[in-house]
Amino acid sequence: MKAEELKQKFEEAGYETWIKEREEGIRIRTKRTSLWIKVEKEKIKDAIGYFVEIADVYPHFSIISASDEGDNVELNYHFTLGFGELHEEYSVNFKVAVPKSDLVIDSITDIVPAVIYSEREIREMMGVEFEGLQDKRHMFLTKDFPDGIYPWRRDETAPKDTNKLYETWKEGAK
Amino acid sequence: MRYEIPVGPIHPALKEPIMIKCTIEGERIVDVDVICSQNHRGIEWIGMNRNNPVQSLYTAEKICGICNLCHPACLVIAVEEIADIRAPERAEYIRVIQSELERIHSHLLWAGVAAHELGFDSLLHYVWLVREKVMDTLEIVNGARVPKDTIMYGGVRRDIKDEHVPKIRDMIEYYWQAFDKLAKLFLEDKTIKMRTREIGILPYEDAIKLATVGPTVRASGVKKDVRQDMPYFAYPDFEVKAITPDMLTGKVVGDVYDRIIVRLLEVKQSMDIIEDALNNMPKGEILAEPKMMKLINQIKKAEGEAIGRHEAPRGEDIHYVKLKAGFEYLYAWKVRAPTYINILSWRTMLMDMQIADIPIVAASIDPCMSCTNRVIIADEKSGKEKMLTSDDLHRLSVMKTRRLLR
Repeated sequence: MKAEELKQKFEEAGYETWIKEREEGIRIRTKRTSLWIKVEKEKIKDAIGYFVEIADVYPHFSIISASDEGDNVELNYHFTLGFGELHEEYSVNFKVAVPKSDLVIDSITDIVPAVIYSEREIREMMGVEFEGLQDKRHMFLTKDFPDGIYPWRRDETAPKDTNKLYETWKEGAK
Repeated sequence: MRYEIPVGPIHPALKEPIMIKCTIEGERIVDVDVICSQNHRGIEWIGMNRNNPVQSLYTAEKICGICNLCHPACLVIAVEEIADIRAPERAEYIRVIQSELERIHSHLLWAGVAAHELGFDSLLHYVWLVREKVMDTLEIVNGARVPKDTIMYGGVRRDIKDEHVPKIRDMIEYYWQAFDKLAKLFLEDKTIKMRTREIGILPYEDAIKLATVGPTVRASGVKKDVRQDMPYFAYPDFEVKAITPDMLTGKVVGDVYDRIIVRLLEVKQSMDIIEDALNNMPKGEILAEPKMMKLINQIKKAEGEAIGRHEAPRGEDIHYVKLKAGFEYLYAWKVRAPTYINILSWRTMLMDMQIADIPIVAASIDPCMSCTNRVIIADEKSGKEKMLTSDDLHRLSVMKTRRLLR
C-alpha cells in the first residue's frame, strides 16, 4: 500500500492527515515520504488498531517521541511500512496531544508488544501514565530516582540546578 | 529447582552497562528479564537544554564509540529536512563512504568478539589483525582511528582527497583477499557450526513483531534495510539490496550462525559500495555553508519536525527532532539506537537455551551495551547466593566448546 492510499483510508475514517516529502539521491532521485496522522487521546487504540488491521504486513514500530508543548504533552508514535521493496518504504507517525491536567493515555502494548520499552521510557521521562501497561518499573532512570521529576519536561517538574556546572563555563562567569 | 542468574551490570569487553536476569531450571533458561537502568547519561536532555545544534552534533557523535557516525547522520538528516539545507553532491558521496568504512570495522570487531565468546581466541586475534587495515584507512582519511567528527549540517568537514583514494582502493583489495579465508574460518569450522547452528533462534514472525532491526532481523529472513527501503544521502544511487542468509545457504534458520553469515556478506557489500562511490564521486564543494555562525542562525530560524533514519552497523537508527523558531537548542530530540529495540529479542532467543550459550546469544545481536560481569546464582529455597564472574561464564562457554570438540 502506498502512502497516498493509506492517507486516503485514514481520511475516510475521519482523521486529519498530511504528507511530507524530501528528495534524495544524485544519479537516481527518490523521495523520503512521511505520513502524519493526528489522533485524539481517547482514540489512540482505535487508530493504531485500525492501522495494524489494514496494513499489508505487520507495521514496524520505531519509537514514541515526546515534547512539552505548554498545556499539552505531545506524543508521536513512529512506525514504518513498505519495507523490503527498493525505495518503497515510508514512515507513519501518529500525533497525540495529552493535556497536562489529565496525563493518562491508553497503553497499546496489547496491539504492538514492542512498544513496552518506549512506554516505560515516556512514563519516567515525561510523567505520562499509560493505562493498561503491565510493567511500570523504571526503564533508564535508576530505581531511586525521585517521583514527580520528569527530565524532558519544560515546566516546574523539570530537574532543577542541573545546569550549574555549565553556568560556570560560560564566558565571564565567576 | 529454579535459580535466578543476573548477568551484568558491567562487563569490560562490551561497552555499556546492562543487566540480564535469567531464571534457570538446571541448565535450561526458562525466563529472561532485561534491566537497563544502570547508567543514563541524559544526552537528549543536554541537546534540549544546554547545547546549540552544532554542539549537539558532536554530543551525538559521543553516544556510541563504535558507530559514531550514525547518530550525527540521523540528526543531520532530520535538521536538514526542517531547515531545508542541501548538502553538495560530493559531500553526500563522502558520507556514504564514511558510513561503509564504519560498517566494515564494526562488523569485523563483532566477529572478533563472537570468536572470543566461543573460546577461539586465536581467531579473535586474527580477525582484529585483519581489522587493523580499515582502522588505518580511517586514520588516513579522518586523522583518528575511531572518532570521525566529519559530519556537519549541509555537508562534511573533511574531503576525501586524491591521495586518499589509492589507499582506500588498497584496503578494498586487501579485504577481497582476506574475505575468503574469514568466510572459511567462520562458516566451515565444525565446532563453530555446532556452537551457533540452532542456537538463539529468532523466528520470522517474532522478528517482525518485536520490531528488531539490522543484521538481527535480516538473519531471520526479513528484507529490511534503510539503505534499500528509504535511502538517504547518496544511497539511492547504489540500489542497495538487503542481505539475508538464504543468499548463501538457500535457507533461513534465524540462529546465531545466520547472523554471522549476514554480517560477513555485508562486509563484502560495503566494499562494493565504496568501490562504486569512489568510481563515480562528483567533484566540487563539500559544505553548503562553511560559516558556523551563519549556519547556527539559519537553524535557529527554522521551525518544524522531522525524523532522520540511518542504517547503522547494528541496525536502523532513528532520531526525532523538533525545532522552534528563535529557540536556542533543539526543542525536542529523541534518539533511538538499534540496541534499544533489539534487546527485546533476547528473551525469545535465550528461552530454552543453556547458561553456556548466554554470552554468544547476547553478543549475537551485537549489543552496544554490556553483559556478563557479575553473576549471582541465588538458590530460592535456601536463599544462598553464589557469585559467578564474567570469567566463570566465559569459562563455561569455553568448556562447552571443548566438550563439543572431543
